[in-house]
This record gives sequence, structure tokens and C-alpha cells, in this order.
Amino acid sequence: MTAGEPLIRWDWIASHGGVFVERGLQHIELTLIGVTVGFIIAFALSLLVLRYRRLEGPVTSITGTLYTIPSLALFALLVPYTGFTVLTAEIGLVSYTLLILIRNIVSGIRGVSPDVHEAAIGMGYTARQLLWRIELPLALAVIVAGIRIATVTTIGLVTVTALIGQGGFGALILSGMLTFFSTEIIAGAVLSVSLAIVADAMLVLLQQRLTPWVGAG
Amino acid sequence: MATQRGASVEFREVSKRYSDQVAVDRLSFTVPAGKICVLVGPSGSGKTTSLKMVNRLVEPSEGQILIDGTNVLAEEPTTLRRRIGYVIQQVGLFPHQTIAENVATVPRLLRWSGERIDARVTELLTLVGLDPRRYAKRYPAQLSGGERQRVGVARALAAEPPVMLMDEPFGAVDPIVRDRLQQEFLQIQRSQGTTVLFVTHDIDEAIRLGDRVAVMRGGRLVQFSPPAELLAHPANEFVAQFVGSDRGLKRLALLTVGGTELETDVDPARVEPKAPRLEPSMSLRDALARLLTSESELGLVYEDGRFRGALTLRQIGHMIRSDA
Amino acid sequence: MRLLLDALRWFIDPSHYQGSDAIQTRILEHVEMSGFAVLVAIALALPIGLILGHTGRLGFVAVSVANVGRALPSLALLALALIVVLPLGLGLGFWPTVLALIPLAVPPILTNAYVAVRNVDRDVVEAARGMGLGESDILRAIELPLALPLVIAGVRTAAVNVVATATLGAIVASGGLGRYIVDGFALQEYDRLFAGALLVAALAIVVEASLAAFEKAAVSPGIRHPGSAL
Repeated sequence: MTAGEPLIRWDWIASHGGVFVERGLQHIELTLIGVTVGFIIAFALSLLVLRYRRLEGPVTSITGTLYTIPSLALFALLVPYTGFTVLTAEIGLVSYTLLILIRNIVSGIRGVSPDVHEAAIGMGYTARQLLWRIELPLALAVIVAGIRIATVTTIGLVTVTALIGQGGFGALILSGMLTFFSTEIIAGAVLSVSLAIVADAMLVLLQQRLTPWVGAG
Repeated sequence: MATQRGASVEFREVSKRYSDQVAVDRLSFTVPAGKICVLVGPSGSGKTTSLKMVNRLVEPSEGQILIDGTNVLAEEPTTLRRRIGYVIQQVGLFPHQTIAENVATVPRLLRWSGERIDARVTELLTLVGLDPRRYAKRYPAQLSGGERQRVGVARALAAEPPVMLMDEPFGAVDPIVRDRLQQEFLQIQRSQGTTVLFVTHDIDEAIRLGDRVAVMRGGRLVQFSPPAELLAHPANEFVAQFVGSDRGLKRLALLTVGGTELETDVDPARVEPKAPRLEPSMSLRDALARLLTSESELGLVYEDGRFRGALTLRQIGHMIRSDA
Repeated sequence: MRLLLDALRWFIDPSHYQGSDAIQTRILEHVEMSGFAVLVAIALALPIGLILGHTGRLGFVAVSVANVGRALPSLALLALALIVVLPLGLGLGFWPTVLALIPLAVPPILTNAYVAVRNVDRDVVEAARGMGLGESDILRAIELPLALPLVIAGVRTAAVNVVATATLGAIVASGGLGRYIVDGFALQEYDRLFAGALLVAALAIVVEASLAAFEKAAVSPGIRHPGSAL
């Protein structure tokens, strides 16, 4: 930090509202695409795992391995192929959501009480009806819990994509780091955390609307 | 096996109040040393709260509880608890410890020597009917519900406590196992001479096990008497209803053939051949069952092969109605 | 595929085992930074989590720490650590990286310790108290052993996260395996970059496996395979 420079320069913050909005929209866009695409892939893989049990081992170990690759390395490795693009960022972001989402979808559906399961079959539900009308609605609370974790994690990871030219609020953090300008770093960090908290709260509300039979979570 | 001496337990005007309600209201009674006192009542009657005040898992708001004349409040809670056995319905065995380690819990807290602990564990497992060679090294998850409850009793008896508290200990096992556990428990208690406070909501269990039965309702003691007395003279309508309209029949289980006046002017050779033979040690309930299944009006009582007299259905009927 | 071969070639080049940029040196630096951060996080978070779990108080704090912790972007933590460390004259590299990793490791350890102790069967705890175990005995001899699998799971999550995130430290001139990734990226030496990523993933797997082995040794067989015959 430059000597005499305050930790936060409020005048800089006041004059950069437009930048914050622009970075915020980018952050939200990167997150939304990542979680949505991640959910679609995770849902399909979960149905496969539920249907063919022997796929569980391979699916879990592949998504688990993806999860342990450092985000920095994954983004860096993709750059020679996909460049400094949104696609590079999204491949990384989507990869990291899979483990969490699949784990929650599968355990949520498996967690449906065997009594309910048996009662439904006894009343003549087909396998398909059982899944869509009974199991999925009852597993919704656990699934939404997984989406919450995936969303909050993704919002944090988006900041790292600043290193490959994307980043949303992460771009502020990175540029602050490079210029030793603490105001910009703090602004980026606070905005990113706030976005995560707001997104989490919205998902809680959504879950309460969707599953009125579950106590507030 | 050294017989232990139980200690007397006295409740003196004991109350427990929570902010908005009275859980136990001026409870007073005395359990003589070596006796079993069963606290019985509907849920919310304050029986479990009363029990937990003895080992101070719940602190009384008022009054005194004396063990052999010493106020439990005068003692450090952990020290106090180490000399009071405690058994709960869910048993609460430590799942990460072997059966032997579980039973050794309190002796270890009291820093007994390793040899003494080993000997005691072997002795106790044998006492509760579990072969130490088979069970000592097992973990609780490998035992059946009934076996776990036996370990619970062994663990509570480990440091030879003069007093034992039992909170619905047999409530979670099936009726057949419960019956056997009750029987074994009575034998063990007699052999050890431990004073027992026992909580249940099952009046039949209370009558079967109790030397004294304390009927509670809404935090108050409604009646405190030996079980036969309770059945013969319920203190009020609530107790009468709680013990059931079949209390006369229940009482038969507590009375023996030998304790009943028999008809002696009967010639055993001249009665109907289907009359069953009865023994004096038999309960009147079992005698009644014999008479009914053999479709006979009377049974012949023999003691060591000698004819003592006859027991008639009419006499049994009299005992059912009798308030004596 | 070609990248994998390049990385293999990079691994067998003897010059990569010499000097300050040697593979063994970078691994050691990485383990030092990660290990230090995780140990500090354990020292901070474990006692608090266990005690909060035992008393059952402030549960919402333990749970919110996990939620907020997940929302903290690692890049921002690193940047903020830099702001804290630079004026103290501790320099770039090791200290800002470690300082950024600690808050990353605290939430899973704290929350798991809290939840693990809370999940211990209350009847077991009541039985222990009723037999005259003191509160610290209950926590040490009953609750901690029963909570151990979940507690270790929390440390595992934290450690794997820290090992992966420690690579970011290379941005602020720390050592460790992140150097290969950042330098490989900057110099467009993708064999080096890929080798670095492989090393980090391998280290994460080793950490996982060691903690799994530790769990196996430390957790009582009585709760490891409930119901099975030994």
C-alpha cells in the first residue's frame, strides 16, 4: 500500500457505481450459466446412477477428481484450447458443481422413506410417476440444499476467473492486487460475499415456497 | 458373592418447579433399605423428574432427598452419581467401547485396580447371564436389545451401589424378553440387596416388581403402599381406574395357594377324578387357570406329597372380591 | 494425450530435481504452507466447535460460519491477506498465503466438530452424566470418540481445499506447486503447468488417504461397522 493512503477511499467507491453494476451483472451471468448447466448435467447423471447402480463408483470418482483439481490449474490448462473466454470459465465452474449436486440429488431421492415408496407402488404408480410425482417433490429440500452450496461456491469461484480475463467482482480484486489499491480489493470482496448471501437467502425462500411441508430451513 | 447392603432413600417435601409449572409437588415417602419402590403414573405425572432428582440430573427446587440420612444436595454431583446405579430405557451404552469397558466405567472413575475391575466385570456379566468369554470383547451394536439391557444393569451395578435408579428399563424390549428380564432382575436385586427406585407407566410391571408402589399424578403422590394393598384398597377413584377394573384378578397373582384358607373336610379319594393337583407355592392366578382349564370346581393341594386341603372356585371368587 | 506425454517427459528431466525450483523443494514448500494453515485452523476451530457442540449453545453461529465461509472467495482472501501482511513487513509469499488459507480451513472444521458432537446420541450422554462422569470427561471420553469420524471428515474437507487453494499463493510470489502453474502459464510452458496440476492433485489424494488411514486407526471398531461381526 502506498503510505498515507487510507484503507478505503469512499470517493473512489462513490464514483465507480457504474463499474460495480457492470461487474455484478457479469458475475451473476457467469454464476447462473454455471449452476444451470451444472444442474442439467448433474440431474441426468443422477438419474443414470439411480437406474444403474454400478455407474455410481465411476461417476463419483470422476466428479470427485474434478473437484480436487485446483481451479487455477484447471482454468490455466483450458486456456491453450479455449482461450480467455467465457467458455473456459464455464467449463471450470460447471465441473466444480457436479460433485455437490449429484451427491444431493441421489441421496435426496434415496432418502425418501421406504414406506412412502411402498405405499405409492402399492397404489399403482409406475416407476416414472413415482419419480416425478413422489420422489422428486419429497427430495426437493435436499436437492435445493445442494443447489445452495453449489451456487455459493460458484459465486466464490467466479472471482478466480478474473485470472483468465473474466471474473465479475473478481476483476476488481485482481486489479486491486496488481495496483496495491486496497479500496478496490475490499469492494470486490464485499460485493462478492454479499452476492453469495443474497443468492443463498433467495434460494431459501424459493425452497420454502416449493416445499411448504418442510419446516423453515 | 458378597451381599451388599442397600441404603434407605427418603423424599422429604420435595418439589420441582419450572418457570410456569409444577413438575413435582411436595413429594414425601421413604423406601426402606434393600426394597424396590416403583414410581408409576401416566406421562407427565412427575415420576421421571422425581427419579432424576435423586442423582441430581434434575435439581430439586425445594425439600430434601436423604440417602441413609445424608442429604444428596450436600454432596458433589459426580461423586454422588458414582455410588448410585442408573439405568435408562434407551440403555445408553457407549457404542465405541466394548461391553467390558462399558461395565468398567464407574470402577475406572473410582480408580479401582485393573485386576479388581477385570474380576468385577467377569462376575457381573455372569450375574446378568452373559458369558464373559463371549461378550466381554464385543461392541454394543453386536448385541440384541435384551442383551444390551442386561449390560445396562451390569454397568449400573458395577461399583456395588447401595441405590439404583431405573427409568423404564424394560420399556423398549418385546413382552417375552421383558418378562424374562423382570424375573432375572428380581433375583439379582434380592441377591445384591440394592435399594431400587424404578419408574414405569405399566401398572402390571409396578405390581410385579414393587415392594412399594408410589402412584403419582400431576406431580403429586396419590398413594404409597405395597402392591397387594394398592389393589385391595385404592386410595381414590383415580388409583382404582389406573390399576384397572380387573384389580381383583391382578391381586390373585400376588396371593399364594398356601396363604389361603383351604377346605380340609374333603376326601381326596371321593372328589371327581379331573380335579387338578395344586402346590402351596403356586399363585392363586395360576391355580385359577388350572381349575378353569380342567373344568373342575376344586383343586387338591399337596405339600411334599401330603394332602393339605382343597381350593374351590368359590374361595377364589371370594379372594377376588375381598378387600382384606 | 500429447500434453500428458510432455508432462511425463518434464517429470523425468533430471534438471527439474535441482536448485530452488526442484520438484521436491516445491512439494515441501506446498506441504509447509498447507500444513501450517490447517494446524492453525484446527487449533482455533476444533476446541470452539467441540465446546459449542457440548453445550449446545450458539449453534446458529457454528452453522453460519460454514455458510459465510463458503462464500468467501479465495482470491479475495489472498488479496485481503496481502493488505494485512504487507504493512507488517512480513513480505510476500509464505505469510500472505498462509493467512489467506486459515479462514478457508476454519469453517468446515468448526461446523463439523459442532454438528458431530450435537449428533452424539443424547441418551448416551445422559447415561454418562448419570454415572458420574464430569462434563470434561463426557466431552473427552464419550463425545469426542463418537464424533471423531465427522470431525476428521471436516479436517479432510479443509485440508483438500487448502492444498488446492495454496496454488493461488504463487500469484503473490509464494513457493509451492502453484509456481509451476503460474510460471508455466506465464511462460506458456504447458508441460510444466500440467505437471504442476498433476502434482497438486496427487498431493490432495495423498492427504485424503493419510487422513482416511488416520481415521481407520483412531475410530473405535464399535462405531465403524455397526451390527457386523468382528
